Amino acid sequence: MLDQPTQDLQLEISQLEARLHDLRSQLDVTALPTPPSSYADNKTQWSAPSDMYNNKFQSEDVRSSLHALLLLSDSALPLGSFAYSSGLESYLAHNKPLRTNPSASFHRFLKLSIASIASTSLPYVLAGYRHPETLDTLDNDLDASTPCIVAQRASVAQGRALIGVWERSFRGSFAAPTRNTDTGAQVSVTSIEEFADSLKATLGEDDEYDMGPKGHFAPLWGVVCRAMGLDLQQTAYIFILNHAKAVLSAAVRASVMGPYQAQNILASQSLQQTMMARIKREWNTQVEEAGQVVPALDLWVGRHELLYSRIFNS
Amino acid sequence: MRRQPAMPIRSPFESSIAKPGQGHVVLSLLPPNNPTLTTLTYKYPLKLVPRAPGFVPTPDPEVLSDECPSRPVHLYLLTYGGGLLPGDHIEVTIELEPRTRMVVTTPQGSTKIFKTDPSADSSFNVIKGHRNKLPANEHISDMSQQSLDVKIGRQAALCYLPDPSVPYKNSRYAQVQTFTVDASAKGDQRSSLCVLDWVTQGRTSRGENWNFRFWKGRNEVWATDAKSGKSRLLLRDSVILDDESEALDDSDSEEETGGPIESGLNSHSNRAETPPPQPGLLPLNEIIQERTRPHGVVGTLILSGPVFDKLGAFLLHQFTSQPRIGSRNWSSNSSTAPEPSLSTNGDGHVTWTAARVRAGFVLVKFGAKDFETAKHWLGGLLREEGSIIREFGEEALFCL
Repeated sequence: MLDQPTQDLQLEISQLEARLHDLRSQLDVTALPTPPSSYADNKTQWSAPSDMYNNKFQSEDVRSSLHALLLLSDSALPLGSFAYSSGLESYLAHNKPLRTNPSASFHRFLKLSIASIASTSLPYVLAGYRHPETLDTLDNDLDASTPCIVAQRASVAQGRALIGVWERSFRGSFAAPTRNTDTGAQVSVTSIEEFADSLKATLGEDDEYDMGPKGHFAPLWGVVCRAMGLDLQQTAYIFILNHAKAVLSAAVRASVMGPYQAQNILASQSLQQTMMARIKREWNTQVEEAGQVVPALDLWVGRHELLYSRIFNS
Repeated sequence: MRRQPAMPIRSPFESSIAKPGQGHVVLSLLPPNNPTLTTLTYKYPLKLVPRAPGFVPTPDPEVLSDECPSRPVHLYLLTYGGGLLPGDHIEVTIELEPRTRMVVTTPQGSTKIFKTDPSADSSFNVIKGHRNKLPANEHISDMSQQSLDVKIGRQAALCYLPDPSVPYKNSRYAQVQTFTVDASAKGDQRSSLCVLDWVTQGRTSRGENWNFRFWKGRNEVWATDAKSGKSRLLLRDSVILDDESEALDDSDSEEETGGPIESGLNSHSNRAETPPPQPGLLPLNEIIQERTRPHGVVGTLILSGPVFDKLGAFLLHQFTSQPRIGSRNWSSNSSTAPEPSLSTNGDGHVTWTAARVRAGFVLVKFGAKDFETAKHWLGGLLREEGSIIREFGEEALFCL
């Protein structure tokens, strides 16, 4: 059993950690991202189990935000992400000579894919989080900026699925007005509701220059994460991580690699570094400045339709 | 935009424009059916040369049957030296009034983006004395920039098929092209545009292979309602080719894990010319090559409006009738039978995609082995379909 001074010290550490977390979440939105908490905390001591409920989870906000984080990172989240390979299938078909070394070829693709999703979509995630009230405009602008219908379909399908999950599953637990001290979360809830309503009202109606809302994934992700109490760093990190997971999962199902190798890549320090570097690079990118940094990827994704046999929708 | 409606024809020598590199053009349709440049101003290093319209379009009986389309006016976009130096800022605004048509080309060949010369850069800073004060603006001051802003009125049409941009080694360039159409126009009344934007790997004769620092091309189409003043973004196509040598801050070193890789040729010439390492001029890396591979040129063609409807449909049809890729499950290694290579559409080295995105826009994206291949492929398709030549004349395809 631990003696009294040690316990006091640990109590203080835990309280400071909780305070640090609170301050981080209040951090000005333009500040550079800090690594997610698991990254930063790896040097701190383990708390004794008996302390855990008192200290580590003493802040209701911290526990609730962790819970939301785990929900949103779950691969069982019914967004249908498994149906999309984000161009991997087409890339493999277009780069047959590289199949002599499938692992190196896949690593190249993963890196390009993460750079591309970060440069094209992450600014919309961040903008959705920072300004949830602009969801309508962000949705229109992302629709205007998505150059091929394959990517458009994938983004819209997952975005609408996210609205569905919100409405059917998350709203009840996360939309309560008293639950959150962040006024932005309240704005986000209202914004999602209004957006979902206008989406239902205008389904299928498309005037020439007056298109209705589409429901693109990236801005909705930012708004939903805000509504569920995640901080901005977590929102960005999990968005990119989920993308990497989807690509790796597609790679396993396309027989590029086995599930252990995929987990190995997912766990690797180099993937974490790549993700952090891309997030950092796009942290202050305005949506007007978002763009494709991997032109070749647009071609692969766009030509997915030309594949003779397809196992994915993108 | 704020021009008086009944402005007289201005002399091109009138120095109404203060800043170098700016140009302003207004094309009006004077009665009965007489296209006239009511404004044409420009300032060094920009030069805008109009050419008297010699071509009379033969109207397609099915389209625009009620009114005869006006003759297109050809505008040559030139810069002194045939390219842009670091720090050059070209800013062209064009207004196409209702029912007018304009062809814009670049008769000097490719738009050369000259390299950011480290010695010139330092002399510039000596004169200005800003280097220590404004380190954050260092990369902006030596960037070449070009902006083109075209307002296309109701039933007006723009055909802009320029030569590609050729960024030299170490160059930096940013281009923003904004096209505004009339939101209140519907159906056949809509504004039409055809815009090509392409960039090559550099001077292949000198061994350049995506060795520039930065190239950004953004094309936006907005629909503006004159009555309500509201604007809506219809399309944004944005390509950013960045070698990422511009570190965000000092703690950013983990991004350089790829390590500097120089081709033998480049490292030799570097050593010969500039022996001391230049601060702020990092060794060349292969980031842009990696992201464009295997292409030597990438580009986008944007089509919209009644004048280009047929061309858009044609290109979509061409795209969807390409041979399927991978006749077998690609995971099996036994497929050694000769498969159709990537896009054998007469040209085995062009990879392209076409999509009808929204608001009737057709977006074509392509990558090709080199400039000649892309030019031959695109010129071939546009000539085969024929509506550009029919509506604007052969000279509209001058660069293709």
